[in-house]
Amino acid sequence: MAGVTVFAVLFLHAESQEEVMGLTLGAAAALLLLARFGWNALAAVSFAGHSRTGQAAVLIGVLIIAAVFYDQHFPLLMLASVLLYIVVCLGLNLQFGYAGVLNFAGAAFFGVGCYTAAVLTSHTSLPHLAVVLIGGLMAAGIGSLLILPVLRTHGHYAALVTIAFSILFRVFLEVNDTLGGPQGMKVQGMEILGWKLNDSLAFGEIEISFYANYVVLALVMAAVAFMLVRRLERSWIGLNLDAVRLDETACAAFGIDVARWKITAFTLGNFLTGLAGSVYAMMTGFVAPNSFTFGDSLILVSIVILGGLGNPWGLSVAAAIVLMLPEKLQFIQEYRLLLYAALVILILLFRPGGLMPRQVRSYLPGWKP
Amino acid sequence: MTLGLLSQYVFNSLMLGMIYAMVAVGFTLFFGVLDIIKFSHGDVLMVGAFTGLATYLGLEALGVDSALVQLLVMTLVATLSMALLGALIAKYLVLPLRLAPPLNTLLLTLMLGTVLREAVRLFYPQGSNPKPFPRLLPADSISFGSFTLRADSVILLLAGLAAIVAVHLLINRTKLGLAIRAVAQDAETARIMGINFEFIVLLTFAIGSGMAALGGLMNGLYYNEINFGIGLLLGVIGFSAAVVGGLGNIYGAILGGFLFSALQSVGAVTLPALFPGTSTAYKDVFAFAVVIIFMVWRPTGLIAEKKSERV
Amino acid sequence: MSTLLTCDSLSMRFGGLVALNQLSLAVSAGEILGLIGPNGSGKTTFFNVITGIYQASEGRVDYLGHDLARMRAQDIYRAGVTRTFQRSRLCLPLSIFDNLMIGNHRRLNHSLWFNLVRRSAFRAQFEEQYAQALALVRTFSQSLAERLFEAAGSVNMIDRRRIEICRALISQPTLLLLDEPSAGMTHEETRELMDDILIVREHMPGLAIIIIEHEMNVIERITERCIVLNYGQKICEGPYAQVAADRQVQEAYLGTE
Repeated sequence: MAGVTVFAVLFLHAESQEEVMGLTLGAAAALLLLARFGWNALAAVSFAGHSRTGQAAVLIGVLIIAAVFYDQHFPLLMLASVLLYIVVCLGLNLQFGYAGVLNFAGAAFFGVGCYTAAVLTSHTSLPHLAVVLIGGLMAAGIGSLLILPVLRTHGHYAALVTIAFSILFRVFLEVNDTLGGPQGMKVQGMEILGWKLNDSLAFGEIEISFYANYVVLALVMAAVAFMLVRRLERSWIGLNLDAVRLDETACAAFGIDVARWKITAFTLGNFLTGLAGSVYAMMTGFVAPNSFTFGDSLILVSIVILGGLGNPWGLSVAAAIVLMLPEKLQFIQEYRLLLYAALVILILLFRPGGLMPRQVRSYLPGWKP
Repeated sequence: MTLGLLSQYVFNSLMLGMIYAMVAVGFTLFFGVLDIIKFSHGDVLMVGAFTGLATYLGLEALGVDSALVQLLVMTLVATLSMALLGALIAKYLVLPLRLAPPLNTLLLTLMLGTVLREAVRLFYPQGSNPKPFPRLLPADSISFGSFTLRADSVILLLAGLAAIVAVHLLINRTKLGLAIRAVAQDAETARIMGINFEFIVLLTFAIGSGMAALGGLMNGLYYNEINFGIGLLLGVIGFSAAVVGGLGNIYGAILGGFLFSALQSVGAVTLPALFPGTSTAYKDVFAFAVVIIFMVWRPTGLIAEKKSERV
Repeated sequence: MSTLLTCDSLSMRFGGLVALNQLSLAVSAGEILGLIGPNGSGKTTFFNVITGIYQASEGRVDYLGHDLARMRAQDIYRAGVTRTFQRSRLCLPLSIFDNLMIGNHRRLNHSLWFNLVRRSAFRAQFEEQYAQALALVRTFSQSLAERLFEAAGSVNMIDRRRIEICRALISQPTLLLLDEPSAGMTHEETRELMDDILIVREHMPGLAIIIIEHEMNVIERITERCIVLNYGQKICEGPYAQVAADRQVQEAYLGTE
């Protein structure tokens, strides 16, 4: 864990392209070496076993990274974005990693959260915590408009529903003048109980970037979402979701209410996505339709698949890689979509379980028969 | 609205419907033989259009300037190369995933579409800008009041019709078509009866992708402009059309194609009339919203999908 | 013994095809009934109708005061009717224990609050269920009981069949439907499995079982009574020896000369 933290610090710190490239290759080599000795399996087991310590180590790691870059905007913005994307991908993971409900409109639901924040902060004086909550509820609510066609249809037909929605949403934003059209909208910075997140903190000489506030907030959100999803997976509900994904006929024969669990997963997933979206909008101060394209939805899907469907740890790592690599390796930036798409194809062909395949469910951390 | 304007809308809608139908037929053919959705289909169309354009530029450079020759060579090169691409995709990307969950194939082809799209954007010279597409068809036109009938549009419409009829005849009147239908009906039995399953699948993908290339050329000739992004929207529309018609059914796909274009036209005409101030750009929002609602009413399309699950 | 299930002129049509034709039969509590007949005679359709996977075209299925022909699959399960499938329908990526708990659905607490927040209560329920699952699987196979947290896909055919039967048994049903449990197994494996079923019945004397089987020695050995279907109709009923001697039954299987 300490190693990973140091690496992340170095990575975010690296300025020149060569440094970044070197670090990336180094990490890849280290991972291959680990895999060669079967250490990653060991790490997976130890994650499962010493869940508490592992989680605490990750939290501390993130805080250390934030502390190292306390006065720089960009790395902190990056860090907070990764954390918020993790929340989104946890939501998507609930939907198609567990319940098997395809959602190719992840970016659209994220956009619902963003635009809710934009509209509510500029036209009302609602407390911002309530705005975030409403952002989540709006995404869940709009999702529930889609749930009927999603439930009535299967497989490919259901995929069409979310794809159609994803495109519809983007076009809607572009032509809708009250939402700013293609130019988008400005969003106010966040304020929780008098704590203005957009003000830099200063302790005497030391001035801390205001993004540090958002890192803390995003970290709390990611941690809570992570815990929620983990608990869900390690429960009868997680089992129901898996069963719904794997065999609907068997579900019916054993009393599992397919519709109920699909709705639960879809709504909860969209709620998380909407929450993250509204915080993200307040952090960046600006929303525009261009950030919510079908391509962005596909990137979200790639993250979940790359990490390993159903594995929250895997998707967290994948989110960090997918978001940070193109930012740091400028020459990748232009090619990132091509690169990820090709990578996902390779994964699907040769390692369908993703980089960190999901393990068999253990209901209680550390429990042994 | 004048009669002339109305006819203009109807004709326009027929033209779009034809292109959509050609894409939808591909989706439905692939679904028929393999029960999969090949989402890269729209992007194959786009690559086909670009191949046609590149061929045209090549011919220009060689000094061939007869529009007819250019058109024929473009069509031939684009159709054949996309047929080959389609077969390669089937062999190396789709067939290996036959036993995996259908979701994986859908994802893989979605990503493949992204790869094709991005590849054209990044590697075709100035691929991120819209490209002018040559006008190779006679541009004569006859006017009936405010309605102008252009010869090139009529030719395109007829060409599209011919392509669809040709595929229809191939499927229903030839031995190969019989084999395709047999595989669609029951791949296992077809194999036992001595049909070369893999060959039939590759052939079907080649036919569908060739159709897509034709659709791409038609699209280019009609709008006189192409860009790397046309495939995505055309793909989603073609998929919607195939789904609305009922996956696996060719007539359903054709019907779905024309229905979708009709929906767009209705949206473009009625929305601004009903809600003054709304832009016609809402037509796609309207069309997709109707498709989503339609799915509630008819979850497996107008002409229902074959049902094969055994308990 | 008291009657558990009564079918009254049950019919199932798919378009023009009549899969079940005016079928009437009764099953007593604690009985093992064999359901035999040539392929396509409507045996599995009968299971699908009384478990709510298909909706019967007409007729009633009376079970402890419910009409199964008018109920949803999930409510029929809750009323205590469980089944296995002809083709294995286990969730192979999930652990054996997970598969058993899918069968145990009606006895688990599924509220969000219980599962997410009250983790100590969840722990208690989990441990209780684990003990029961372990005990049940042990009656079938000790080695399988030691592998409860391995993927169901990692065990062989007979063990998969055992898991499927355990999945149907763990919720303590009153009626168990076995759809060709011997399919795809060797004679030796089939015999072992039948021993297991007989042991289970000793533990659960009230349990009625309907078994579809093509292996006639299985039917002969474990059933008390048989019903023979042909073209969706009942053509014969009685103990195996009597049924096997029936001319109509022989014709159905071998064809008329």
